[in-house]
Amino acid sequence: MLHSEPPLGEGIFSRFPMNHLTCISSAVACLLLISSPIARADTPPKKIALSDFPAAAVEEVVVPVPSEIFAVLDKLGNPNWKAQLRDGKARTPEDRARTALLLGNVIAEGFVAVEAEDAERVKELGRQVLTLAEAINVRKSVIARSKSITDKADQRDWRGVRAEFDGALQDVRGAMQELNDQDLSQLVSLGGWLRGTEVLTSIVGGGFSKDGTELLHQPELVNYFDRCIGSMGGRLRKNPLVAGIRDVLRKIGPIVNEAGDKITPEQVKSIHELTHGVNRQIVEGTTGN
Amino acid sequence: MNFLPFSQFGPLTRRFAVVAIVLVAWTPCLVHATVDDALSFAYEAALPYYKQGYSVRKDAWGGDLGVRDKKAVSSQLFKGNNYWFLMATDVKSATLSVHIYDDNGNLVDAESWQRGRFAGARVSPKATGTFFAIVQILKSPEDRTPWALVYGYK
Repeated sequence: MLHSEPPLGEGIFSRFPMNHLTCISSAVACLLLISSPIARADTPPKKIALSDFPAAAVEEVVVPVPSEIFAVLDKLGNPNWKAQLRDGKARTPEDRARTALLLGNVIAEGFVAVEAEDAERVKELGRQVLTLAEAINVRKSVIARSKSITDKADQRDWRGVRAEFDGALQDVRGAMQELNDQDLSQLVSLGGWLRGTEVLTSIVGGGFSKDGTELLHQPELVNYFDRCIGSMGGRLRKNPLVAGIRDVLRKIGPIVNEAGDKITPEQVKSIHELTHGVNRQIVEGTTGN
Repeated sequence: MNFLPFSQFGPLTRRFAVVAIVLVAWTPCLVHATVDDALSFAYEAALPYYKQGYSVRKDAWGGDLGVRDKKAVSSQLFKGNNYWFLMATDVKSATLSVHIYDDNGNLVDAESWQRGRFAGARVSPKATGTFFAIVQILKSPEDRTPWALVYGYK
């Protein structure tokens, strides 16, 4: 439940005219402020040794939702989003791992369609989300989202559609976690990340903006996905598609470990080709083995 | 150790045992409930920022910490976005703090505030990468204080 809370610590003294009487009032206010919890705010150290934190005291990285990246891309310019859209509709796989990866992939595609302001494509992707969610028993969690995606696409409420795709991703993952399907939940995130990275590298590699390479500096995230696959059950870990993705992650890892401004155009192209290849396998069901 | 069937306890012992079993059965629910309550307060702290156009993530971190214990929460943040991290607890007289550090351990708060059971820190990353929200319980009447952390971006 959310309750209204005014912004804190802003304009506290702006209403005090500085005459004699209010000088005293200000002094009293200062004293009150000094004794208030805000004034007792801690003074954090300017530098800490992260190595002092034992592993148990460090929470795993949370995978960013696609709109965090698209929010930055919005500020960088206006690339040709229509050219990034993928054609066709993927068939629902029988393999649950591929279904989870495809679901994340389709949600990320939804963001591209939003950027391209292609209402029909957005609605189609919204329906695909529902179909794929049904295949892995989490349909209920996205029924309302799917309908909202359609409604908001009709209204051309692009910010709203983005929020619904973000929500769909989080709801699907939440529902899977409730079903103790943590591994599949991670695969949904991974599928989204792979498609997002493919699009991002296409835009950055196309000369859209050098600043865009900044967005590729995601070392902990790539390591995290690698660790996730490593901790999955043997059957899932040995799934040819999942194993292939792990190989791709290990090739991307050293590149995105570099500071953003040190990533070269050749490296951007390499990440693009790697992610494009693996996304094609997710969509078409070919493992290339 | 011998196992005694339930019927072999006296009436008072039996009543005590029933109460104990009920309490034990409810304990995980109670702990969960307080972390959920902490999360509600964290969303409450995030509301003003939501009104300012920040998208608040549904994903959240939480748990319980002893007084002065710290936890590092890692996040992938992107240059070009602004982020607010909001932390809260449901323990009324507790105070806590959250501050953001980069992967070299440098404090990168653009601003921060702390008011009793609420705390917040804003960061505008100068570079894309991994950042750490360091959360801490500064004061609490409880041995273990439930906490929750959410973040918003725009």
